[in-house]
Amino acid sequence: MIRLRRRQGEDVNQVARRSVSLFELRTVLSGRTTLILGLAGATGFFIIWELGHYITPEESQRFLPAPQEVLGALITLIVEKDYIADILKSCFRIFASFFAACLIAVPLGIAMGCFMRLRALLNPTISAFRYLPAASFIPLLLVWFGPTDTQKLALLVLGVIFFLVALILDNTKSVQPELIEAALTMGAGRRQVVTEVVVPAVAPAVVDSMRNMIAVGWTYLVIAEIVAASDGIGAVMMRAGRFLKVDIIMAGILTIGFLGVATDLLFRLAARYAFPWNRERGD
Amino acid sequence: MPSDQAPPRTAITASNVTRQYVGGTFTAVDNISLELRENEIVCFIGPSGCGKTTMLRMIAGLEYPSMGDLTIFDKPITGPGPDRGMIFQAYTSFPWLTARKNIEYGMKIMGLSREERSRRSDEFLRLVHLDGFGDSYPASLSGGMKQRVAIARTLAQNPGVLLMDEPFGALDAQVRWEMQEMMIEIIERENTTVVTVTHDIQEAIYLSDRIIFFTRSPGRIKADIPVSFKEGRRIPRKEEMLALPGYVDLERQLFAMMREEIQQK
Ligand SMILES: Nc1ncnc2c1ncn2[C@@H]1O[C@H](COP(=O)(O)OP(=O)(O)OP(=O)(O)O)[C@@H](O)[C@H]1O
Ligand SMILES: [Mg+2]
Repeated sequence: MIRLRRRQGEDVNQVARRSVSLFELRTVLSGRTTLILGLAGATGFFIIWELGHYITPEESQRFLPAPQEVLGALITLIVEKDYIADILKSCFRIFASFFAACLIAVPLGIAMGCFMRLRALLNPTISAFRYLPAASFIPLLLVWFGPTDTQKLALLVLGVIFFLVALILDNTKSVQPELIEAALTMGAGRRQVVTEVVVPAVAPAVVDSMRNMIAVGWTYLVIAEIVAASDGIGAVMMRAGRFLKVDIIMAGILTIGFLGVATDLLFRLAARYAFPWNRERGD
Repeated sequence: MPSDQAPPRTAITASNVTRQYVGGTFTAVDNISLELRENEIVCFIGPSGCGKTTMLRMIAGLEYPSMGDLTIFDKPITGPGPDRGMIFQAYTSFPWLTARKNIEYGMKIMGLSREERSRRSDEFLRLVHLDGFGDSYPASLSGGMKQRVAIARTLAQNPGVLLMDEPFGALDAQVRWEMQEMMIEIIERENTTVVTVTHDIQEAIYLSDRIIFFTRSPGRIKADIPVSFKEGRRIPRKEEMLALPGYVDLERQLFAMMREEIQQK
């Protein structure tokens, strides 16, 4: 905490507003402060990377290229190697598979949160599937679908769907029971309780769960595109690895990181727009 | 208060109602029989854990007696319904609806037309002193205002019986008495039969025509006390009631009963 003196004519609140502490508990930040702190964090990361590059001995520096070299590799990829097509391909795989997974997991998770018998019937099996690493399905999916797009989409769906069901089930279970009981005492029927109370009550939490699970989807993308793939960001990185082109591998990592953050932001904006009532005071 | 012409009808009856939990090994409500008349305001009071909420929830139809029967206007209670409005201690205004849409929700379930809903929601917003806040979402309202939205939503359905479980329990003292006076005003206007649960002895005396005192768990009826010093009047201001002869005696009696129940081992 930086202690500040009170300037002439200033009240206590104004002093508080000028003072800065990284560890003040749960303060409300303005959008500008949030942006500046976020950029500062990212800049710090690049500075450490840059330093790491320069303290690396000359002969192994090519295994830790500097940020600007990676950026150069990225531009070359885009201009000369049609990298945009690979990016679009990867985006298609992520969004199509995630959409399909949500189409099943969201209604199923909500239904399992509402109906105890359905939950008892399905939950043990679905939970078991969560413990199987998605990568272990690759041989099976290759036998079934061959090295096709379908195989990759299927892998991505399998990677997220069971977790998604479990998260949405939990979200639904934590809907305040009094909201449901209030609707029942007002004469709402079973269908009305589900569609008019449970669904809107759980919607913001569901979007949060989706946002967290699509991040996991991005991590599976590389696994899906490393095996038996000729296009997509993962395939580009895999090829670069064979020729020890570390700058291209890092360009791939950077791309995925950037796309991940962009997706996250997209979900946050969508949630803010779709649920204006959910905004906390001062948010 | 009931008029002089017809004798008041019976709104709710409980005959030998018992509620057990944990496979019958724990009795929360033990063999309670009571009769509530139309337009009466009755208060359940008693030590914590004595079964007041359980009894109220059985009347609401949200829970079922293990033994015994409950009726509303001579029909058996088989589940929740809009003839019995319920206010919970936790705020239950729907966060995704504005105050106005919240109030209209119950009327929508009942199938009232859009014009009727909008007319009545205006009326009830005014009644709970929330005019001007119709388009606010609950997140931007205070606790007391959220509770008023829930009260208006329930009353707009015009339920014959209003059930309230410590409706003002989470509010501070000043908001609490404002809400109590508001409730008296509304109940008087709407001619509602009310069952309310409270821990607050002064609130019980101010609101009710009759106080039903529960024993400590397992809950039985310890005493059924008419609040006779108010002579059947609904008093708009709390300080008027405090000035009436008889108030202090009743308060002292209830405190003594409460101590008796808590100290018993
Ligand atoms: N679902 C349940 N399962 C098991 N026991 C329960 C359940 N609901 C209530 N009980 C028990 O029944 C008893 C009565 O509970 P109840 O909530 O009706 O008390 P109360 O009079 O409303 O208390 P308070 O004044 O603290 O709200 C308590 O001992 C409680 O633990
Ligand atoms: Mg209770």
